[in-house]
Formats: sequence, structure tokens, C-alpha cells
Amino acid sequence: MTSKLWLKKHKLIYSKDVLDIVQFGSSVIGDKIPHDLDIAVIFEKIPLKEQLDQSQKIKAQLQKITDLPIHIKSFDFYSFFDKSNFAKENILFCGKSLIGLDNFSKKFGFEPKIQISYSLKDLKKKDKVKFNYLLNGKKGEYGLLRQHGGKLLNPGLIEIFPEHEFIFVGSIKKITNNFEIRKILT
Amino acid sequence: MNNGLIKEKLEILKKTAKEYFDSACEEFSKKRYNSSVVLYFKSLVALIDLFILQKTSNTPSSHTERFRITKERFKDIYNILDKDFPFYQESYVHLMTKELAEVIKNDVEIMAKKTQINL
Repeated sequence: MTSKLWLKKHKLIYSKDVLDIVQFGSSVIGDKIPHDLDIAVIFEKIPLKEQLDQSQKIKAQLQKITDLPIHIKSFDFYSFFDKSNFAKENILFCGKSLIGLDNFSKKFGFEPKIQISYSLKDLKKKDKVKFNYLLNGKKGEYGLLRQHGGKLLNPGLIEIFPEHEFIFVGSIKKITNNFEIRKILT
Repeated sequence: MNNGLIKEKLEILKKTAKEYFDSACEEFSKKRYNSSVVLYFKSLVALIDLFILQKTSNTPSSHTERFRITKERFKDIYNILDKDFPFYQESYVHLMTKELAEVIKNDVEIMAKKTQINL
């Protein structure tokens, strides 16, 4: 049973009121083993009662695909962008569409990326080398950039996909704390 | 559970369901929707326990058990509980809306019909 539901097209039955079904939260982050799955269903502007009833039906279908407990949230665009929706940044930035099998933000014409700027200035030479190996690999082994589709934009600046943030940050932290993270939509 | 105890529990659950429902309506009329949602949900849970008691002569002792019993035996009620419970959990940190309070009120009324209770 999978936890990354967006990697495969599932035969889900839903009405035309459903604009998208989005997986978000910790289960879409690279190397984490999730305890549960967060799903957001984005609806046309229909009554809340109908949203909730339809979401329950979608949840029942998804629950047949995974053993992990599913937490489902229902939104229309008004409630999605409401200030009280604390999940919107996560859904926009990390959300994966189970309908489009791609980033949810692509619906709005954006691609989410993480930029990490770092400085090796105060590191010892051996740590600078270690850092270089970490990103670019050594002796034919892939480094993190190649493994996870990231790229070096400038010396001291890399760009990666949001789902790999924890992998990169965790590895970089072992060598230096001199780095900054920026979330961007390109 | 013996008949006397069942009767007593039935009365308590009916009373609490009505009390929570009345308080929820009062809060709703004052536009205090977070309180209203919480109280409607409590009324809903009392009615669900009442329904379970009517059908099985037992009541669940925790939310986990309530979920398990309804999931195994009363699917339509499980769906109501599963749908509404997250809002109760979130009511401490999220602002609840009038529309949501109305949705949960509607579910309370559905359960009142199932348990043949006049709210």
C-alpha cells in the first residue's frame, strides 16, 4: 500500500464540482515515513454540506488504496484562500494533485521550488570538499543534486523541489549551519 | 448492563443531548459559532451514544471505541461522526463558520430522528 498517492492514477469517482484532490503535508515530503495522509478536496462554490458529503465519499475510495489514516479537508476557493485556512501555504507549495498527478500549484501556472543559499567561507578545507561531494557526488556516485533533480544556480545557491527539503537540509546541517532557505513559486 | 442501568443511561443521554443542543442554538443565535459547533457536536455524540445504547445495550467509553463500533456496525452514523469530528478537534484553533454550525446542527437533527428524540 502506497503513501504517495499522486504517483499513480487511481480510478476515483467524483462529481464535476470537484476541481482537484490534493495530497499535502508530511506524506509528500521526501524521506519521511508518514503516519497519516492529508488530503484536500477543492470544490466549485457549492454548499458546505455537499462538499463534506462528497469528501467523505472520496475519502472512502482513497482509504481502499492505503492503510494509513486519511484526514480530509474540503475547500472552495473562497475558504481555501481565507485567512483562517492555515494549511493553504502547505497545500499550495507542497500539494500534489491526484487528478493531474503533478504539483497543485501548476493549476495556477506556478512551479514550487526551494532555494538554499549557503556559505562555505568559514569551513575547513576538508569540510568544503565534503560539502562538494555531498552536492555533486564522488567517484561516479551521484550527489544530492543529481539524485533529486536539484541544480546549482550560482556558487552558494542551489534550487531543489520542495519534497526534498528535509533531505537537503538534514545533510547540509551535518556540515554547516551557515545557510538560508527560501520558498519560491516560479 | 442491567435494565435499570440502561434506563438510567438512556435518560442521561437524552437529557445531555437536549441540553447541549439548546445551548448550541443559543450560542448560534449570538453568532458565537465556535461554541455553537462544539456544543452541536457534543449533542451529536450524546445522540450517537444513545443510538448505540438502544441497539446494543452498551455505550462506548471513548472516541476510539465510538469510531470502532460505528464503523463496524452503523456505517451511515460512522460517516457523520468521521465527517464532523475534525471540526470539533479544530475548534480550539480555527474560526468556525455559520454554515458549518448549520451543517452539524443538521446532523444532530438526523440523529434525533434515528433515536426518536424530540430536541
